[in-house]
Amino acid sequence: MSVGQSPLRHDAAAKTDGSIEYAGDTVPAGALQAVVVFSGRAHARMLLMSTDSALAVPGVVDIITAADAPVNEYGLTMRDQPALVGVDHTGAAAVDAAVSRWEADQIAVVIAETRAAATAGAAAIEVEWEDLPLVDNIDAALAPKAPLVHPENGLDTNAYHHLRIRKGDPDFGFALAYAVIDEVYEVPHQEHAYLQPEAGTAYIDNEGRVTIEIGGQWTSEDREQVAHVLGLPEDRVRIIYKAIGGAFGGKEDMSIQIALGLAAMRLAERGEHRPIHCRWSREESIVGHHKRHRGRIRIRLGATHDGTITALEADVDLDAGAYNYTSNKVLGNAHVSVAGAYRIPHARIDSRAIYTTTVPGGAFRGFGGPQGHFAIESAVNRLAAELGIDPVEMRLRNALVDGDDGITQTVMPEGVSMREVITACSLQAELDEALPDPEPFSPIASLPSATTSLRRGRGFAAGFKNIGFSFGFPERCEAEIVLNGNPNDETPTSAELFHGGAEVGQGAHLAMRQMASDATGVSLDDVHGHFSDTATSGDPGSASASRLTFMAGNSILGAAEEAEKAWREGDRPARGFFRYTPPPTEALDPETGTGAPNFCYGYMAQCIEVTVDVDTGHIRVDRVTSTHDVGKAINPALVRGQIEGAVVQAHGYAISEDLQLADGFITNPRFSSYLIPGIGDIPLQVDSQILEFADPLGPFGARGVAEMPFITYTPALTAAVHDATGLWFNTFPLTPSRVLGGLQAAEE
Amino acid sequence: MSRTHITCTVNGEDTDFLANPGTSLLDALRDELGLTGAKEGCGTGDCGACSVLMDGKVTCACLVFAPEAQGRNLLTVEGLSSGAGISGDHLHPLQQTFLEGAALQCGVCTPGFLVAAKALLDHNPDPTESEIRYALAGNLCRCTGYDKIIRSVQEAAVQLRSAK
Repeated sequence: MSVGQSPLRHDAAAKTDGSIEYAGDTVPAGALQAVVVFSGRAHARMLLMSTDSALAVPGVVDIITAADAPVNEYGLTMRDQPALVGVDHTGAAAVDAAVSRWEADQIAVVIAETRAAATAGAAAIEVEWEDLPLVDNIDAALAPKAPLVHPENGLDTNAYHHLRIRKGDPDFGFALAYAVIDEVYEVPHQEHAYLQPEAGTAYIDNEGRVTIEIGGQWTSEDREQVAHVLGLPEDRVRIIYKAIGGAFGGKEDMSIQIALGLAAMRLAERGEHRPIHCRWSREESIVGHHKRHRGRIRIRLGATHDGTITALEADVDLDAGAYNYTSNKVLGNAHVSVAGAYRIPHARIDSRAIYTTTVPGGAFRGFGGPQGHFAIESAVNRLAAELGIDPVEMRLRNALVDGDDGITQTVMPEGVSMREVITACSLQAELDEALPDPEPFSPIASLPSATTSLRRGRGFAAGFKNIGFSFGFPERCEAEIVLNGNPNDETPTSAELFHGGAEVGQGAHLAMRQMASDATGVSLDDVHGHFSDTATSGDPGSASASRLTFMAGNSILGAAEEAEKAWREGDRPARGFFRYTPPPTEALDPETGTGAPNFCYGYMAQCIEVTVDVDTGHIRVDRVTSTHDVGKAINPALVRGQIEGAVVQAHGYAISEDLQLADGFITNPRFSSYLIPGIGDIPLQVDSQILEFADPLGPFGARGVAEMPFITYTPALTAAVHDATGLWFNTFPLTPSRVLGGLQAAEE
Repeated sequence: MSRTHITCTVNGEDTDFLANPGTSLLDALRDELGLTGAKEGCGTGDCGACSVLMDGKVTCACLVFAPEAQGRNLLTVEGLSSGAGISGDHLHPLQQTFLEGAALQCGVCTPGFLVAAKALLDHNPDPTESEIRYALAGNLCRCTGYDKIIRSVQEAAVQLRSAK
C-alpha cells in the first residue's frame, strides 16, 4: 500500500540539483523575446495608438495589438475584459475594448530578437489617452452617481454581483439575544508572491496547434480562454505545463497566455516560425496579476446568556477591481463563510462584488474563506468575551453537526466533524495550562531584548472550507490509466497515468501516483505519470478549491476500474478512461439564498500563542496548533507541508503583507517593500495535527487541506493579541506601527 | 555593444564566456552557460533565488555584473553534486536531506537555499538554529513555511560532521 505513506517526491532530486525545467528556464535556441505592454492608466480611454516608431526600433520583429485579436474579450467566469485594449480592434467584444480599467490592462505585445530590443520597442509605442474618473476604492464605487466601470453590463451600479441569504426572522433572533456584537471589519489585499514570476514559450507544434508552455492551474480552461480570443477551435490550441513555481490561486487566471498565443498565431501567419518567449519581472508580476480581495464586512451577531447564537446579519463588500476574474465565485464563498460552521436560526446576509479601477481581486488560497472567517470568528471571540464564556465552549455550543442545515437552509454534506476538530485542537493546544512567562526577545538584532514590556496571549478560531467547485458549477475530473503486461500475466507489470492536474509545488503528482498505485496494485515505482498536456490528458479541473486530491483521486479510482475490466477481458495494454462527477451542487436562490452550494467540506481549528512587545508593537508568534480533518492523509509529509506553508502565508497576511495603492496604482510592487515572511519571521513552533474522519465521497476517505490552514489564522491571531493587550483589531496586517497606534489610542 | 570576454572557474571547471558589460551574472549563467538552476525571483536582491557562491561567499547573481566574475571561483547549485560536493556524482548531503526532509515544494527557492546553506556549513559545521536562520535570512520561500528547511540543514550538518 502506498496511500498513507510518505514516499519521496519523484521530482525532488531534479529540484535539488537545478535540472528541473520551469517555463522560465526552457527557452529554445533562437527564440524571440516578447514584452507585454501595460496601459499604465488606471482609468482612461485610448484615443490613438501608433506602433510605427516602435517597429522601427532595431531588433523589433513585430507588434501585436488589439487589431490582431479575432475575439477581443476574455475572462475565466465572465468575459468582461479585453484581451488587448485598443482603438482599432476589429474583434467581437461585449466590453468596450478602448478603455483601460486598471494600470496593467495589456495594450500590446512587442516581439523582438532580444529582450532589450523588445523593451525599447515597448517604450517607443505612442499612445494618446483621455483620462476617465478614478474609482479607486469601494466607497468611491458605491457613491451616488459614481462613474460606472462597466456600463456595458446594463446595471446602474458598480456592485455588479449581489448574493442574499434570508433565513428566519433576524429581528426576532436579535430580540432573543442577551448580547449583540456589531462590528465593521476591513480586510486587505494580499499578493501571491509565488517565487516564480509568470513565464512561457509559444510556438506552432508539428500538428499545427498554437502551443503554449507555461505554468498555470487548469490546462483545459487556459486552452478554452486562449482559443476563444484566437477564434480557434479548442483542439487547435495546446497547453503544456512545465514545472510550476508556485501558484496559490494566482495562476488560475490568464496573465501572458493570450498574449503569447496571439503572437505565435499571427507571426506564423506572417511567415515567422521561431518560438516566442516571455517572462515577467517581479514588478510586472505584482502589478500585472490579481490579488486576494480587499473588502469590508459589517457583522452583527447575537447570542443568549449561555452563548447560543440567535441571529446574524452581515454585509460583505469585496473590491473586485477592474474585472471579474473569479470574484463572483470568491464572493459566494465569503457569503457562506461569514456565517461560520455554526447553527444560526435567523440570518440576513448581503454580499456584493464591486467593480473599481484597481487591480482585480481573484483566487487566492482560501477563496473568500479568510475574509468571511475573519469577520465571523472575530465576532464569535468578542461575543464570547462579552458573555464571559470560554471561546472553545462557545464554539462547541454552536458548531454544526451531521444532519444540521447550513446557513443556506439545506442539509450539510455528510461527514461534519466541526466539534471533533475543535475539541482535538483545544486538547492539543493544552488550553487548560496557563501560558508561561514571556521569553525575552528582540525583533531587531541590534536592539537589546525586551523583558518588561512583553505580554502573552492566546487565541482560538475554527471554521470550514468547501472542497471542489460550488454553486452549480459542472464539477468534473478526467483520468486515463493504461495497464501494461504480457498476455499471460495475471497482474500488470506497470501502469501509465495520464492526468491534466497541475503540480504547482504541493506534490499532487506524487499523491496521484500513490492513489493510482493502490487502485491498480502496481507498485509506486512502476506507475508512470504523464501530466498536464492538453494533447495527452483530459480535463482535470483546476488545482484549486482544495479539490485536486479529492477529484483526481476519484477519477483515478474510476479509470483504474475501467482499465481493470479491459485487463480481465484480455486487452494488452488495457486502457481505462473515467470522468468523475461528484453530486451536483446548486446556485443559491437569488432572493433567499436557499440551495446546496457544496458537496464536501474540510474542517479546521487553530490556536495561536503570541508575545506582544507593547513598547514596539512587535508580535512574536510562539506557537501555532493547526488541526485539520483531512479525511485521509494520502501522503502525510505532503499534508504537513501544506499546513506549515499555509500557516506561514497566513502569518504574512496577518502581520506584515501590506500592499499599498495610490490613485489606483500599486506603489510597492517588490519584495523590499511588500514583506512576505522570511525565515526569521515565522512562528517559533507549528504543531500540525492531522485528523482522519473519512469523507463518505472522498477517495480513500480523503477531503482536502490546501486552503484550510490559512483560513482561521488571522482571527485566531487577533484574539491572541486581544488576550495579550486587551485590544481588538478590526483590520490588519498587524504591523508594529498599527499595533503601537492601537495601544497609544487606547491609552488616550 | 562590444561583448566582454570573461574567464573564471564555475563548479570547479575553468570556464570562459562572452557577455555584455551590463549583463547580470545571473543572466550570463543562465543564457550563456546554460546553468538555469539559479532563478530570477525578483531581480533586486530581495529573494535569494539567484544565490551562488563567489569565492565561497553567498552572492545574489542578479546584483552582480557578469564581468565582475572575472578570475573568480563560482559555485552554483549544479556544482553541489558534481564533484564540488563531498560525495562526487551523488547528491550533496544538503540536497539529500532537503529531498528526504520534504524541505521543498515548488522548488524555485531551493537552489538558493542549498547554496546559502552550503556556505554556512563550510564555515560553521555545527550551527545553532539561530545561526541557520541568520544564514538563510536572505532567501525567501513561499511554499514550505521554512521549518523543514531548518531541520534539513541541521540533519545535513550532522551527516557532514560524522563523515569527517
